Amino acid sequence: MNQMYCQKNLLIANVLLLGVFSGAFCIEANPATPLELKEAALEQFENHCFDCHDGDAKKGGLDLVSLLGKGDFDGSLIFEHLITAKMPPKNKRQPALKEKQLMLDWLAQCQAENAPQPYRRISRHEFVHSVNDLLGVKLDLTGGIPEDRGTHDFDSDRRVLLTRQMLTSYFLAADEMLEFALPAKGFVQERIWVTNKIKDSHNSYNIYTREYKEGILFSWTRANNGNSYSFFYDNFDPPVKGWYELTFEAMKLGAFKEDVSIEVFGGKYYFADDRPQPQRLLDVISLGNREMKSHTVRVFLHPGENVSVHCYSKHNFRKKNGNQGAYIKQLKVRGPVLDQWPPSSYQNIFGGLPMKMPPREAINTSVSQTKLKAIGGKVSVSSFQKGMEKGKMQDGSNRTFWHTRFKPTLAKPPHYVILENPNGNTINGLSYSTWSGGNGNGQVKAYSIHLSDDGKSWGAPIVEGALEIGGWTSEQPILFPKPTASHFIRFMVTDALTLDGRSLASIGKLDVMTVLPGEGSTLPVLVSSESVDDLKKVIRRFAQKAFSSNLTDEELAPYYQVSLNALKEQGDFVAATKLGLKAIICSHRFLMAPGEHKNRSYGIAADLARILWLSVPDKELMALSATDKLNGNTLEAQINRMLQDKKNKRMIHSFCNQWLDLRSFDKISPSLKLYPLYNGLLNHFLPLETEAYLNHLVQENLPLGHLIDSDFSFLNQRLAQHYGIPGIYGQNMRKVSFKQEVPRGGLLTMGSVLKVTADGFDTSPIRRGAWISKNIAGNTLSPPPEEVKAIEPEHGREAATLREQIEEHKNNPTCYACHKSIDPYGFALENFDATGQRRTNYRVKLPHRGTFQYRPQGYFKLAGEVDAAGEIDKDKFEDVVGLKKILLSEHKKVAYNFAKKFFEYANGYKPNLKQRLHLHAMIPDNAEECRMKDLIVKVLAYSLEGDRE
Amino acid sequence: MRNISRKDFLKIGAALPLALQSLRLRAEQGGERPPKRIIFINSCLGFYKPYFYPKKRGDLSTSDYLKGMKTLGKMTLFQNLFHPGMRTSNHDSEKSFLTGTPSPESPTFVNGISLDQVLARQMGGDTRFPFLNFSIYDRGWGISWNDRGSAIPPMYDEQKIFQMLFENEDLKAKKQQLQNDQNILDCLRRDLAQLRKQGANAGKLESYQAVIAELETQLNHEKFWLNASKPKVPKSLSDDQDFVFSTKIRNLFELAKLAFQTDSTRVITFSMDWIDGAIKVPGATGGWHSLSHHANRPDIIARLSKIEIDTLKHYNRFLFEMDQIKEGEGTLLDHTTVVLGSNFGNSSNHTCDYLPIIVAGGGYKHKPHTVLEKQTPLCNLYLELLHKHDIDAKSFGSSQKDMGLLNS
Repeated sequence: MNQMYCQKNLLIANVLLLGVFSGAFCIEANPATPLELKEAALEQFENHCFDCHDGDAKKGGLDLVSLLGKGDFDGSLIFEHLITAKMPPKNKRQPALKEKQLMLDWLAQCQAENAPQPYRRISRHEFVHSVNDLLGVKLDLTGGIPEDRGTHDFDSDRRVLLTRQMLTSYFLAADEMLEFALPAKGFVQERIWVTNKIKDSHNSYNIYTREYKEGILFSWTRANNGNSYSFFYDNFDPPVKGWYELTFEAMKLGAFKEDVSIEVFGGKYYFADDRPQPQRLLDVISLGNREMKSHTVRVFLHPGENVSVHCYSKHNFRKKNGNQGAYIKQLKVRGPVLDQWPPSSYQNIFGGLPMKMPPREAINTSVSQTKLKAIGGKVSVSSFQKGMEKGKMQDGSNRTFWHTRFKPTLAKPPHYVILENPNGNTINGLSYSTWSGGNGNGQVKAYSIHLSDDGKSWGAPIVEGALEIGGWTSEQPILFPKPTASHFIRFMVTDALTLDGRSLASIGKLDVMTVLPGEGSTLPVLVSSESVDDLKKVIRRFAQKAFSSNLTDEELAPYYQVSLNALKEQGDFVAATKLGLKAIICSHRFLMAPGEHKNRSYGIAADLARILWLSVPDKELMALSATDKLNGNTLEAQINRMLQDKKNKRMIHSFCNQWLDLRSFDKISPSLKLYPLYNGLLNHFLPLETEAYLNHLVQENLPLGHLIDSDFSFLNQRLAQHYGIPGIYGQNMRKVSFKQEVPRGGLLTMGSVLKVTADGFDTSPIRRGAWISKNIAGNTLSPPPEEVKAIEPEHGREAATLREQIEEHKNNPTCYACHKSIDPYGFALENFDATGQRRTNYRVKLPHRGTFQYRPQGYFKLAGEVDAAGEIDKDKFEDVVGLKKILLSEHKKVAYNFAKKFFEYANGYKPNLKQRLHLHAMIPDNAEECRMKDLIVKVLAYSLEGDRE
Repeated sequence: MRNISRKDFLKIGAALPLALQSLRLRAEQGGERPPKRIIFINSCLGFYKPYFYPKKRGDLSTSDYLKGMKTLGKMTLFQNLFHPGMRTSNHDSEKSFLTGTPSPESPTFVNGISLDQVLARQMGGDTRFPFLNFSIYDRGWGISWNDRGSAIPPMYDEQKIFQMLFENEDLKAKKQQLQNDQNILDCLRRDLAQLRKQGANAGKLESYQAVIAELETQLNHEKFWLNASKPKVPKSLSDDQDFVFSTKIRNLFELAKLAFQTDSTRVITFSMDWIDGAIKVPGATGGWHSLSHHANRPDIIARLSKIEIDTLKHYNRFLFEMDQIKEGEGTLLDHTTVVLGSNFGNSSNHTCDYLPIIVAGGGYKHKPHTVLEKQTPLCNLYLELLHKHDIDAKSFGSSQKDMGLLNS
């Protein structure tokens, strides 16, 4: 950082290389002195503005004469109105380019210097992606780090400072990620479970699935309360958190063209009782085939989590015993899977050092076996009813069960089960489940456990307790006070549910809790080194990537020291490394941007990687930086390469979340009564459409007008259904062209945007209008004037429609000053409901009788017709098609707004007026020439310079 | 008398030793008075005025919302308090609710320290957690702001909070981890010194330095408390999934109560809002924020009031249960000042004067409904609360003077 590098020359070189300026405003074209500029500018203001905005006329409450006369004033609003050609009004004489330039330059010059902080913290998303890439893992811990954008739009906002709480969470996240990458006890064996048994989350759910051939046939799985039924494949147990491969052998049943979709969830098994439990959607499998196929998805699971599925198709709504739906023959779970052995985390960190590890091969685990069987145990019972034998407790299903004898004669108590442990394995307890379905007769309410070595003489109970009864089918663990190796364990039923007074007992599943041999064992990767030099090398290599610089040993000394001390004290090479790495990723150099870089290229590489990948530079960038070659054509080529890299999708995702507020998307749940067909599948795909579309605009370098309108988007079967577009089958996202009459295309009419700008029930033209105005159209709204406050809206009239209420803004000039730039945009979208479906009439919710019962037609009646007409600056429009035309006619304004937003995303602050002049100059006059990638590249190149000024 | 300013705290703040050797001290002083606690609750979208304020001046039982409260005798409702400088602040006023810093909507706004943080300096050293702050979802900011004007990210996951408060960790591993973290801090500090010499941006270095200094204090505090096992309480959190929003608020109040009861902390803040989408409470479903712009429409007010009643129901339950817990010669509530309020005076037009504020508990002689003659800075009451908690401050935020609104 002591090195000086010349930036100004580079700046000019880059800008010349990257952009050809069109006839717009040039930057600093007035070589006048500040005073001369002021006078020249004021002359233009007098010619073009003072007629309406002087002390007498004072149009819009603005007296420019006295305002501009003041020494300091906030000219940004005037600036925006001039640069976006809002002022002077269209019907007035327009200033020549040069004249306008004078005014803008002067406004930019006299803007009070509110320079943003010259640094920022990296965001939590940037932290997690960067550390993942550095370590060579994929672990999403963002949720454990507090949201860090404050009340601002962009995560990078410089006004949000690092806090102790954030740093604490980074320390914790670092520990967890390092432990995941380099587990202290080694990696667990990879195992394979194969299962075709499901456990449903309610005892009444079995009408939605049935056993079919070798597996299960699922039909519609939406419950009568509108939530989805969950069916769990729970016969496997992820031993550690990690990546698992799920392979479903499945096919579609039914002679229809549409796919049936399987939504795959991860979560803990729960008994639904008509209540949804938090589960994570892992992936969606689209079954288009009518023959058996394997469908593999790779998912992240935590210990104790199971996989559950929802199956959904419009063709199989509650068909008991129907022959349509998804037939899942079996599920094969394989994992935890590693990308290679030893895993790339070791290669990334210790590459080059000798490593020793045992071979890692997958172990087959048959899941129909109980642990009791696995340890060679047997079960015996006091009595049984025919068809409900003891083996039914051991077959892995809760739908079958053991029952004491009641026909022809009733078995007398005591009722008990004896579990035999012939090899004296260590038993920690028992695992008990009731059976699913039925009336609950015989469910165990209380029990006692006795031990014996010979199966004859039994000691006093080692534990007594109660079990929950009811529809529960979940496992209820019975932990022993201390583990036992006794050969016989007796589960004595001391009380059971009886509906008819008879003494009965029944059990769905009973098994021992024990650690099977090999189950807990792990495979260590040993790094065979205790050398101080090796440790330094490891730390240095990691630090250079993390800090994007070439640091000297002296500079790295603190990081060496913390590791070397640990090596000396604890003698563990890997543990010592972890400490050093943790210090690096929690350091000032890593968490604060810009970092400290050896040369200019390293700094550019770090910025680019952070902006476009939310990460750290890769090898190629580092290599170019080492020789300080990241400039000119090379820089441009690198930006292009980075935009094409798949890590670019992180930027697209992040930018959509921040710019379009899609991060709030999941917080809104549409009403089931009004929008009964809205479901999790649709919710999953809607934001993906926007991301795929935006990514396409960037990759193909399409004109920015596509933000407003286009004749295509990226859809799949579910989205096409939602939009009413026929003939799209399968859930893979693909480019779909719209016919002329389809009012979609562009961001405004995307379901994601329409949903996130409503509250799930009603649409609010104000909210939508404000969203478009701010995010797309780029209108600058003045804050309400000081003296105008507490205008109690007068819309208390019962009869008034929402539209009439909003139209009342017109009657109050104070309101209308801003609302004229908000309300009409919102009106134009009134043809779309809160889920983004097209409508001609509003829906009014109807009450339901008794308990809510889901029905596909919902609970609503149609009300008044939608009026989507409006007027913007005297341009009238009938509906959204007309609005899009108006917006398209202002392509420069839209592009200028996009440039400002991307600048803010990249830099963490809003551009000042001088910077805005630069941004505006990047936009060609010809709409066709104003292209996405070009503009992004220009803004980026400019930002990279700006950062260093 | 000291004047509390941000600058002062910059100087003394981070280095202040939080872990006073309290465990032993407290054991020796067994017979002493129960400690004072304080909680600030901000309902960020305000309350519908006509239902909130008493219809008959002075009589809380004529307030639609409050009439059913079980601890009315231990509550004072203040009318006509406000924060100056919030005329156009709108939602941003939430940032200033507990700081009183004017013009939070300004792009160059820098917040001041919040009242709870000033209190935590004084009251936080004796407990495992110097303070707690809650919000009902992950949004990274609430009403607690540190001495550098940064939002202190609140906790929102009740399971995690419960775990943090009451579940013991692996002592050996934790000790090793604290030691490692200390070593890392040493390393980071050495690197900072080096960067300073090389002329890296001073502001950047300082902002980071301040944070690691605080982290070090925190580690020392944790190290000290490692020797004491955490209190054991039965898990009384609700997992009702029908009314997720309601459950969340209930649970956070429950955790606040448990934290006070077990003397795990003495200062808590809690902010409640929901801007996105609709929420479901008994009797109504709707967007809290959209409903709050009710524009005096009776149907909207009916739905909005269901949400407000629901939050106040949990507040009432919190007060009542606190009042059932005997402590010393009174109850836990008598030793806990519970401040409920909002940054909005009027939820319909989102204006920020005439703020609804209730002070409950704290052992004060409550005058149920105190109407101030003219709008008075809320910071006057805040200043008084500082004095009531033995902090010798001259001013806080926009305060003018301690008006003696609460009699002990």
